[in-house]
Amino acid sequence: MSNLDQLGSALKEIVGEANVVQNPDQLKAYAVDGLVPKAVVSPGSVEEVSKVLIYANAEKLTVVPRGNGSMMASGGIPKKVDIVLSLLRLNRIVDYDVANLSLSVQAGITLAEVQKKLASGGKGNFLPLDPPHTEKATIGGIIATNASGPKRYLYGTARDLLLGLKVVSPNGDIVSFGGKTMKNVSGYDMTKLMIGTWGGLGIITEITTKLLPLPEASATLLASFNNLAAVGLFVRKIVHSVLLPSAVDLINEKAAERLGEKSKYLLAFSLEGVVEAVDRQVAEISDSAKKEGAVAVKVLKGAEEQNFWIRVRDFSEAVAKEFAPPVVLKSNFVISKHTELLGTYEKMAQAAGINAAFMVHAGNGILYTYILEKAEKTGGLAEFIGKLTAEAVKYEGNLVVESCPREIKEKISVWGQQRSDQVVMRRLKEKMDPQGVLNPGRFVGGI
Amino acid sequence: MEKEKIVHELNRLIGNEKVLGSDMQITLYEYDAYLLRAKPDCIVLPTTTEDVSKVVKFAHDNGIRVVARGAGTNLTGGSVCLHGGIAIVTTKMNQILDLDIENQRIVVQPGLITLNLKNFLARHGYLYQPDPASEKSSTLGGNVGENAGGPHCLKYGVTSNHVLGGELVLFDGEVIQFGGKALDNPGYDLSGVLSGSEGTLGIMTKLVLRIVPKAEAVKTMMCIFNTIKDGSDTVSAIIADGMIPATLEMMDNLTIKAVEEAYNAGLPKDAAALLIIELDGLKDGMERLAEHIQNICKKHNVREIRVAKDEAERAKIWAARKGAFGAVGRLRPNYLVNDGTVPRTKLPETLDKVIKIGQKYNLPIANVFHAGDGNLHPLVLFDERDKDELGRVHKAATEIMQACADMGGTISGEHGIGVEKLHGMSFIFSAKDMAAMNRVKAAFDPANRYNPGKLLPELQKTA
Repeated sequence: MSNLDQLGSALKEIVGEANVVQNPDQLKAYAVDGLVPKAVVSPGSVEEVSKVLIYANAEKLTVVPRGNGSMMASGGIPKKVDIVLSLLRLNRIVDYDVANLSLSVQAGITLAEVQKKLASGGKGNFLPLDPPHTEKATIGGIIATNASGPKRYLYGTARDLLLGLKVVSPNGDIVSFGGKTMKNVSGYDMTKLMIGTWGGLGIITEITTKLLPLPEASATLLASFNNLAAVGLFVRKIVHSVLLPSAVDLINEKAAERLGEKSKYLLAFSLEGVVEAVDRQVAEISDSAKKEGAVAVKVLKGAEEQNFWIRVRDFSEAVAKEFAPPVVLKSNFVISKHTELLGTYEKMAQAAGINAAFMVHAGNGILYTYILEKAEKTGGLAEFIGKLTAEAVKYEGNLVVESCPREIKEKISVWGQQRSDQVVMRRLKEKMDPQGVLNPGRFVGGI
Repeated sequence: MEKEKIVHELNRLIGNEKVLGSDMQITLYEYDAYLLRAKPDCIVLPTTTEDVSKVVKFAHDNGIRVVARGAGTNLTGGSVCLHGGIAIVTTKMNQILDLDIENQRIVVQPGLITLNLKNFLARHGYLYQPDPASEKSSTLGGNVGENAGGPHCLKYGVTSNHVLGGELVLFDGEVIQFGGKALDNPGYDLSGVLSGSEGTLGIMTKLVLRIVPKAEAVKTMMCIFNTIKDGSDTVSAIIADGMIPATLEMMDNLTIKAVEEAYNAGLPKDAAALLIIELDGLKDGMERLAEHIQNICKKHNVREIRVAKDEAERAKIWAARKGAFGAVGRLRPNYLVNDGTVPRTKLPETLDKVIKIGQKYNLPIANVFHAGDGNLHPLVLFDERDKDELGRVHKAATEIMQACADMGGTISGEHGIGVEKLHGMSFIFSAKDMAAMNRVKAAFDPANRYNPGKLLPELQKTA
């Protein structure tokens, strides 16, 4: 038997014939940065995930975990891709405890499906995460990549919501951390350690999170500005006020155009909560915006409001349809510098002759750059990314390439500038995954 | 290395004004707020990161253990030098290094007292959310080390949700920066795993904390009940109704009486339970929400609801709550506080079990706790000179931990494992779970010199 046949029969024994893909044509769709796996395996239980990892350890094979694949273009070029492990068959809701306001799900279920189910329980609840890929993103993928969206401004990110995880360690051990209590300091907070690790310290198979009751009312306010300095002053005023918007997003002209809005700089405020507070914030922010130089203000409600935020969240998907593979960059920086950074980025794009759209979570210090042209036709892209990175570092942040073609990855560090904590990350990876079974090479510093 | 030699070398390294080594000085640092006593070989009081780094490097090179210690308010023995070594006391590293209002961050040294930070921020109209009851004396480094909670964590999350980065001295004295003022720095969430690591992974010498503007409005209500069950049912009913107030705190009769006798706070001494419910945020709609909550209380037979009319009245209510441990401490020579946490739906059932455990071991138990979070604090009262009673106390504490674990809960919500709860770790973790945690420990501290014998049972054996 060839090695490939041996691999195939071993995997089939674990997960069943129907759940192993070895057909070369089908495998191409699972390539990571051009590296085609030898097999794709879809376990139907945590125990099967464990067995696959034990087998991979024994055979010195590497395993790349995968949900719906929306973040597979992120990360560094893998050292080796032997087995892609799909979590899509692990897609059950394990426990929806309405009275405790907690939820446990398997990793492969989509956020969209979860939200549907949550809205129908009790008075209606939701999981306050709104990352890109509204329909496709799986809960496991969101946690493994620490994905977030505009409403993190009020609700925070995975680290503020997770209560517990079930994980298969790189050596195949099935381990559980945290639980369904709101507080937990028993042992190390392994739950937080697993967030955003791209599966490199273990494969997340089950997630328990806090929930929130659905807000009584909501509205979205869009304010258009012509002047970036005025935007800066206005956002500062709101962010440092008693008002509590759930999102404060700043969208530049090219991005606004793709959202169907005409505006040089568009500020979008999501307002959620009790009806009195929503009404007051709509009125107060509108008035304030006009005083601070907004040229147009409008309020979105109902389906119009929902669709607006879905288009914001799925901006990268729309870009990807036109310019595959898309180039998406995420800069982080101190929150007060959002207009400075956006202004500089716009000038840099113009100077480099690169067509780029920008969207900023203005209250969180997170800026996304989307290149609106085919990467292979864009000259000087690597150099451009380097310049943007340096600028974010100036404001105590960094730049992560969320998606780009392999040729660009070869020229840059997709995780931005290295920091002094890399030494600890390397030691953690070496201790927890000594054989380098899980996703080797794709994480920060090539670990 | 001999004690005298250690003191001599440390004097040379960081200056003798920062090194304590006399028997009397050592005795002062042999305990914390748990029942355990053990002496360090010597104590250092660094003022800078460089001091800490030098001491840790010296300890590393000479195979000496180190234990970080703040104000010593730890309830589980976490700051006691179980196996001797150097106690690195951070109380002189108490400076605010950078108030950055524009970016809503503050950078502090770990020895800063929590309440001092909060008072400082209040003058600027800003707030650091976590509010452990010990905030008057506890340090921020200790809060992060234990991942401390507090009443307002119900709405705002625990300490780790407000720690965004800092500076860490590694086992060999190397100094690294983790996280920072900006969110989403690439890499593992080291702030997350360091929070609550009880000084076993390194020593934090700077903390970057999130601050927020003070809320516009706050409404504080004290709801008085004739039975414990009515009180805890009210808590469940409020959450089930889709409301998460800023706090949902509860006290039982023994606590109410103790607090009243200690502070004359105006509490009804005959009440079976008392809930402190606080709403905060925008003023709009708050009155309606408060009424709604009051109606839920009425449905559960509330006897009386007192609403704080002004900040002074609110402060009085909170002083009663935050002084509860101290007040209960007047009832018997000692108390042991349990910290089990259960899914909040299991609160009434768990309280019932706690009461029965108290009866079984013939021990008075006062209850004061974060009801909205399902985080219990049964205070088991006793006299440590009575060895039989002491034995029963430990048995009762273990049974309470087991009861919380059986309810699908955990053994500690905010006080940590330390030494006290080591034997309870197996109630909630498998050997494989703990092996994974051991690998984290090994990555940060390969020779197990940082606070040995704490947090993980296996490490205790090898210490």
